[in-house]
Amino acid sequence: MVFDIYLLEAIINGLLLGGVLALLALGLNLIFGVIDVVWISYAELVMAGMYGVYWLYAFFGVPLVLAALIAIFGVAVLGFLVHYLVISPILGKPPINQLLATGGLLFFLQSFATLLFGVEFRNIGLRLPVIELWDMYFSFARILAFAAALIGMVSLYVFLKRTFMGTAIRAVAQDREIMATMGVNTRQVYLITSAIGGGLAGLAAGLLVLQYDVHPAVGLSFGPITFMICVLGGLGNLLGGFVAAFIMSQFISIGGFYLDLEWGYVIAFVFFIVMMFLRPQGILGRRG
Amino acid sequence: MKIPHIRRLALASMATLALVALPIAAQAEKEVKVGVIFDYSGPLAGGGSEAGGVATKIAVDLVNERGGIEGYKINAIYADAQSKPDIAINEAERLLNQEKVDLLLGFYSSAQCVPVAAKVDALKQFMWANICISSAVFKDRNLKYVFRPQVHSDQYGVASVQFVSEVAKEKLDTPLADLRVAIIHEDGPYGSGVASGNDKAAKEKGMKVVLNEGYAATAPDLSSLITKLKRAKPDVILHTGYNPDITLFFRQARELGLRFKMLIGHGAGYAQIDKLIDTFGEDVNHVFNVDPVAAQLLDPATLKPGLGDLTSELVKRYKLAKGVKEVPPHASMGFNHTWIFLNDVLPRAIKQHGGIDPEALRKAALETDIPDGGTIQGYGVKFFPAGHQMAGQNERSTPVVMQYIDGETKIAWPKAIRTVDPVVPLPAASPYAAK
Repeated sequence: MVFDIYLLEAIINGLLLGGVLALLALGLNLIFGVIDVVWISYAELVMAGMYGVYWLYAFFGVPLVLAALIAIFGVAVLGFLVHYLVISPILGKPPINQLLATGGLLFFLQSFATLLFGVEFRNIGLRLPVIELWDMYFSFARILAFAAALIGMVSLYVFLKRTFMGTAIRAVAQDREIMATMGVNTRQVYLITSAIGGGLAGLAAGLLVLQYDVHPAVGLSFGPITFMICVLGGLGNLLGGFVAAFIMSQFISIGGFYLDLEWGYVIAFVFFIVMMFLRPQGILGRRG
Repeated sequence: MKIPHIRRLALASMATLALVALPIAAQAEKEVKVGVIFDYSGPLAGGGSEAGGVATKIAVDLVNERGGIEGYKINAIYADAQSKPDIAINEAERLLNQEKVDLLLGFYSSAQCVPVAAKVDALKQFMWANICISSAVFKDRNLKYVFRPQVHSDQYGVASVQFVSEVAKEKLDTPLADLRVAIIHEDGPYGSGVASGNDKAAKEKGMKVVLNEGYAATAPDLSSLITKLKRAKPDVILHTGYNPDITLFFRQARELGLRFKMLIGHGAGYAQIDKLIDTFGEDVNHVFNVDPVAAQLLDPATLKPGLGDLTSELVKRYKLAKGVKEVPPHASMGFNHTWIFLNDVLPRAIKQHGGIDPEALRKAALETDIPDGGTIQGYGVKFFPAGHQMAGQNERSTPVVMQYIDGETKIAWPKAIRTVDPVVPLPAASPYAAK
């Protein structure tokens, strides 16, 4: 077989896309794993962060890295507020109510962004260097996102395993009722988890804004696939989500390379449906 | 309880007054209720739908300021389709059944136009489509109550290929049989419609179509498509897309080292040159776009007297309303087509066909006969009659090919009205220039 440099490029670009998706899945998964609530509006938090970076960098001239750090902090506060204002009053209610509440939040954030910023597509107008290796080309922004996903994953792992707060978060994730009776302030744990989840959305925002235009509906491009990746990996399972992101991105990339681009997505979604029959708990999910 | 005498008298006189005054008031406020549907939110809003909506409102306001039409005020009710076909259908039904509008007008997205037009026609209600271009709205559907002065997608597809065929030999030094053409498009009725026109026309001209592929406009990644384009090595790329996908394409094409000699877009995202320059700066220099011309680019001397002033009024009001420098072609389409309906069709319906019911509007529309040069966008208006394959579509509309050169829009084709000798192939300074 002849070595196909274009195929190799497609595979590597698929890996890089996987990094972007893995980063998006990380925060959503953490929140579900600990609080047992799906933030359907997670991609809209990313959108809010992207607007934050855009305004700070393109409008107020704040250096990009600083703008991204402010966005991470800002979206962390937003995540805190989402839990405090929306989730916490309905924490004990049926899951469908929580899903609808965060669904409502999705439309609220989209409409609010439309009101505030208008429908125009905005971008920071930054053109990053092009990386060329042996006649193959790769996106610098994607490589950054890929690295951030890896670093984010590892730091989150270290935080959960090695710190007191991380241990408390894992304990609550395992059994929230028991931990409450043992004197753990679960409310505080939830708020901190939501803030970390928000911060991860802010991190994703800082990287996505390098590759995509910001507009109120930008979440539509990522929300559904991020959610599917979390489900495929096993909702709440960080490593599962990470692996699933790369599986999906390779289906999209290689499928799209050999067949039409749309077929890549069709195959990815068919695989998802089949997996839901075979392993409804997800690739690395716990049976339960 | 007894009402005091004086108060009773006062009430009675007020009631009488009301009874007498009401019909007068009603007569003074005779109105045409127009349901206007555009996308004011969602991804299509920024792709030109909102611009079309804003310009439509400018036309309606201008008509009302000038005293309405034949004693009727235009009462426009604006509805947001939210960039979704199902919402467009719901809003169309709401406007017709609850708001009791006399007609529907507007529509940017072909994905909305196709189902709404079929539905409205089945209800024997009147619809006037302003911006959507898919030929599928009319082709072989024999619609009776739907009309569209706008260019249709088959014409887009043909226009770009015709233009390419004219410059290929002269500027690319390539015989048509060796010319490699790639067609990429968003996969809705709009993109697919233009692309099938491209494909057919290119094959008829004997060009090599090396890739023809669709993708979802909201796709988060186009890198495999670009890798395939690199492998196919096209001289010319014919692209039809909306906004987020076009910017994603340009960004990823640059990052992945895609090279070509010319790129022709077909409206929508490509019409928003301001946005493209904001995003890509000089990288988008010398890109082409096929669209009905933005009215302000035409020489008013070639049009019916007075139309130049009308265009200036549109440009002035649009800039004021939106606070922008450039007025996109979608503003011209929204304004021009609304203006044609209000000032040509509507008066004839009222005067010669007895009112504003769908039947009267339909008859008046079929009698429309505006010669070329009679609208601010240059083309004339005459609708294909019932029984024709494209019944309801304007047979006189034509698109032009524009080229963006150093931030300015120039007309490159047809030759008769061109304002620039097109720059082909891409100059070496472009990051996309073939080496």
